[in-house]
Amino acid sequence: MRLLLLVLLLLTVSPAGANFNLPPLPPRDEYGNILINRTSTENGQQPVSFSHWLHRTRYTCRVCHGELDFQMKVNTTEITERANRTGKFCGACHNGKIAFRHNGNCDKCHNGDIAYSTRRFEEFLLHDALPMTATGNGVDWDEGVRRKIIRPLSYLKKKSQDMNFDKELILEAEMTIIPPAVFPHKSHSAWLDCDNCHPDLFNIQKKGTHFSMAEILKGSYCGACHLSVAFPMDECRKCHPGMRE
Amino acid sequence: MKRIFAVAVILLCFAGVAFSAGGVKKKKIPEPEYGNLVIDANSLKAGVNPVMFEHWVHRKMFTCRVCHVDIGFAMKANEGGIRAADNMKGYYCGACHNGRSSFGGGVLFAACSDQFSKEDMKRCIRCHSVDKVAIEKESRHEQREKAFREFAGRMPKERGGNGINWEKAEDDGALKLIDYVEGVSTKRPPMSNQKDFTIGAKVDGVPEIIFSHKKHTVWNGCELCHPDIFVGVKKGTEKYSMIDLFAGKYCGACHGKVAFPQSDCRRCHTKQV
Repeated sequence: MRLLLLVLLLLTVSPAGANFNLPPLPPRDEYGNILINRTSTENGQQPVSFSHWLHRTRYTCRVCHGELDFQMKVNTTEITERANRTGKFCGACHNGKIAFRHNGNCDKCHNGDIAYSTRRFEEFLLHDALPMTATGNGVDWDEGVRRKIIRPLSYLKKKSQDMNFDKELILEAEMTIIPPAVFPHKSHSAWLDCDNCHPDLFNIQKKGTHFSMAEILKGSYCGACHLSVAFPMDECRKCHPGMRE
Repeated sequence: MKRIFAVAVILLCFAGVAFSAGGVKKKKIPEPEYGNLVIDANSLKAGVNPVMFEHWVHRKMFTCRVCHVDIGFAMKANEGGIRAADNMKGYYCGACHNGRSSFGGGVLFAACSDQFSKEDMKRCIRCHSVDKVAIEKESRHEQREKAFREFAGRMPKERGGNGINWEKAEDDGALKLIDYVEGVSTKRPPMSNQKDFTIGAKVDGVPEIIFSHKKHTVWNGCELCHPDIFVGVKKGTEKYSMIDLFAGKYCGACHGKVAFPQSDCRRCHTKQV
């Protein structure tokens, strides 16, 4: 009985201890790669390998996650062959006009190989001379856009919101020894529309909600992107710039 | 005693998990389903399936005012408590769906009846199409989507919501809205519109709102918003916050449910200062 209580006590305390249990990182050329398999194997096809890095060199997040209605969790978007062929989802670009078309190109996507784009990644790095960083893809995407080395488009057909809102927020950390996190709206709005984050991820209430690391690591708030596609949280100082090495 | 304590601790743990959830991206409503709602005020109790109501089907023909003011539909699903008997007497849906009215097209089918043949059952499921777990038959769902795509294809496009710019569609004459239903509506002399005005934003750097009465009165008249949603006191005395709006107050009564969603910031916050 006492043991049970002890276990329960540990369980309730553990979220704080799990704060910095960052998920293991894949190799840099596979960061942000996903295998989409909602119905593929069911229909006798290989799962689709999708590389975020490859797409974000040309398009901002908002194009797919706003205009094209891709959801934010893998396998939750109802992508079907028919939808693609009628110009929805992947088919909005993969139509033979903007990007390679359906017919004859099955295994470019349906290959079940999460490392499918690796060779192209190395070529891309050599060719574009992007600013580098230590984690994630190893690419400082934000700086790349700022220096205009890459110029990802912000919309396909329906013009994006384009609001010049560059307020920087100072967010106090939950532990007093940790310096506050600095949130720049500007580097986010370069890629995203307001509604990508508001009000679902961040409810814009000035006080009351604390974006705790424990929640973030579960995929809430910043964790919606900064665990899997945007730079991972392994470099504390990227958000908490006052932190010592 | 210890056992009770342990159970209490377990429950508290779970409660903590349940309440701490948040900050997660919600699933976006697909364009054909935006503004759709399931009405089940009395259906299941009466032994029939709940009703699937599509706003887009109705707003392509009628103003919001006709249904929400003249006919008296509530602004929240299931608040009105629509009964079959009401419909049969010509209230609510029955105001138009009476087997006689036609608005330029064919005669509208009659809603609800206490006597029906097996053949009539087909008419029932035109509205009562949602089963107990709020799921429609795949084929019915596809039918709806197809009808929507056909219609939306002819309309001006817009981000979010139905993906249709309803305001522009009406303005361009692509839609001819009916604002008067014989036997239900009362004609009143029109009121001149107040000029467009700006509403300041709370946060620096967010563009100001330009509010247009003109754009709203086409659909809503005065009565839909005033005085219930907006008391209509002197400008500037009432403060509206986005938090209230997202919670469904003020503009949020329509925008985010049926009218274009509030996540399209620049649709309202147009005046960069």
